[in-house]
Amino acid sequence: MPLGSTAPAGDDESLAQAMPAPTRAAAEPINWRRVVLAFMVMGGKRVFVSGVGGELGTTIAGLLEAEDWVGELSGIDADPPRHRLHRTVFHRIHPDEHDRIVQTVASFNPHVLVHVGVWEPDARAAPEAAATLTDQAATSILGAAAECSALEHVVVRSGIEIYGRARGALTRPSESAPIAPTSEWGRTVAAIEHTAAKVGERVGVSVGAVRLAPVLGPHVPSPLGRLLRQPGVPFSVLADPPFAVIEDRDAARAIVSAARLGLAEPVNVVASGAITALQAARRGRRVPIPLVGPDWRIARGLSHLLGAPIPDHVSEALHRGRLADNGRMRELLGVTPDHGTIDVIDRLYHWPSIVHQPARIKVA
Amino acid sequence: MANTLGRVVNFPVRATAARAGAAVSRAAADFNASVVRLTDEQAGVVDDWGRDPGLVRTIIRASRLRWDVTVGGDQRLPRRKGALIVVNARTRALAPIFSALALSEVVDRPVRFVGRPDTAPIGPFLRRIGGLLDHPDELAGALAGGQLVIMGAAHDERTRRVGRVDHALVGAALAAGVQVFPAATSSSPIGREARLEIGAASRSPRKRRGPLAELELADQVGVDIGLLLAEMGEIRTGTPLDWLPLSGIGGA
Repeated sequence: MPLGSTAPAGDDESLAQAMPAPTRAAAEPINWRRVVLAFMVMGGKRVFVSGVGGELGTTIAGLLEAEDWVGELSGIDADPPRHRLHRTVFHRIHPDEHDRIVQTVASFNPHVLVHVGVWEPDARAAPEAAATLTDQAATSILGAAAECSALEHVVVRSGIEIYGRARGALTRPSESAPIAPTSEWGRTVAAIEHTAAKVGERVGVSVGAVRLAPVLGPHVPSPLGRLLRQPGVPFSVLADPPFAVIEDRDAARAIVSAARLGLAEPVNVVASGAITALQAARRGRRVPIPLVGPDWRIARGLSHLLGAPIPDHVSEALHRGRLADNGRMRELLGVTPDHGTIDVIDRLYHWPSIVHQPARIKVA
Repeated sequence: MANTLGRVVNFPVRATAARAGAAVSRAAADFNASVVRLTDEQAGVVDDWGRDPGLVRTIIRASRLRWDVTVGGDQRLPRRKGALIVVNARTRALAPIFSALALSEVVDRPVRFVGRPDTAPIGPFLRRIGGLLDHPDELAGALAGGQLVIMGAAHDERTRRVGRVDHALVGAALAAGVQVFPAATSSSPIGREARLEIGAASRSPRKRRGPLAELELADQVGVDIGLLLAEMGEIRTGTPLDWLPLSGIGGA
């Protein structure tokens, strides 16, 4: 696979067979850019990104391409990357293809594994499918990484849902707070951290977990973002608790820093500040819909029909809040979010809506 | 399942790095602690702990109908760092709440109080006005973040007595590396007069390395509050007759 290109690395055999073999001139001029790049690559580390097809994964790969310490870069996902990547070798493999994943990861033999191949419920897949896909990806990729002799460090994407919001749970848990998830997504990320920690312990590599607040961004499929952008935003009239979020680029910067610095413990990555659903609706000039008790069941059904399903972890955030202490982020990762929670929410309402353009030539 | 996960998730170098990390975190929090002025806080948003500045300002105005609080000793509090202030409390006197509201107005900083329930609608409302859960980790996080926090001793109906001071909460202050200040409060169930007098920071009589440090410091705080109460006297002294010009009291 030549460097400097984004292309499938022989993972799609039918495509490879269909394409003619590249012809090469006998006296091809030396491509100095490629030589310099290859020299730089030889000096760097091999980094493997799982979930590189998602918005967050693509942003991470893009940032890693600009890092000096990164040599070869490879990624895997069920969907192709959202942006053009220049150095990353992409493998399109479904999470249930265990053998191909193991073969791909083992043959790459990465020094650093960045595992962001997780499916948030009702983001890109229904809750059951999301849990299955996440579990399959985690088992295959982390299992394969354990077989790699060069592996030095693993970074996994996690979430602050891991702390849970049971009665009496800390308002703003720090990294040392007990893990007691109370939602499906929280249990999923707890299981990922658990698997990664066990792998790290077994093969003697450091493992870092980046516990992200709900990630919002213009192209990020987020159930919370979709809900807040609806014309009417439901809120709990009895509680209306605060929650915090993080912008996708800030989240990606944090994960890249974790990979660069060899983070060996969990860290909360949360934008400063907090907001409630009512305040968010007011800022976005949406109609706030006060709800109590059984109204939520009706609201969830209606919202699902309107294309913005409310999974249990989002419902929990709207009833019980979702905050976390980000005090150690700067110390452990050396970065702070560029945008606070209020900024992120304001930007959420400034994303352009879908623009329908009529056909220039009417054919029917 | 959740409890099991909590026990088994253990990162390889987490244990060794935890102590050093916490120390560096505290130092960074001290250095970076930027004091938010009550007057500069934006309305219509909540802060990192869910406190709503707009609502707090409204509650402060409304609380003047019920309490007219005189605050003393506020100059002893650190200007930028966090601190724990322990006050005596009586049932239904709401001492931590009126103390927090009055003190935040005087020092022009948000002041939080410990002891909100976690049940709607009271819990969320108290969170909006600066309430924290009665949990050492919750308190330690706020103190490490440079916050002023007021906690009440256990209720005691006798006006000059101080109830038990929770040593676990005092231990949170020790863990966060902040000072603990005793404060005496007095208020009347029928009148508006109320008082908050903050004393010098309490110090444990002996230097301890283990958990005795927080136990002894908690006891010392209780003793210091008792002394402050004795110095302060009652909210109303004597009888109305004592203040008549011909009573012979007060030099008349």
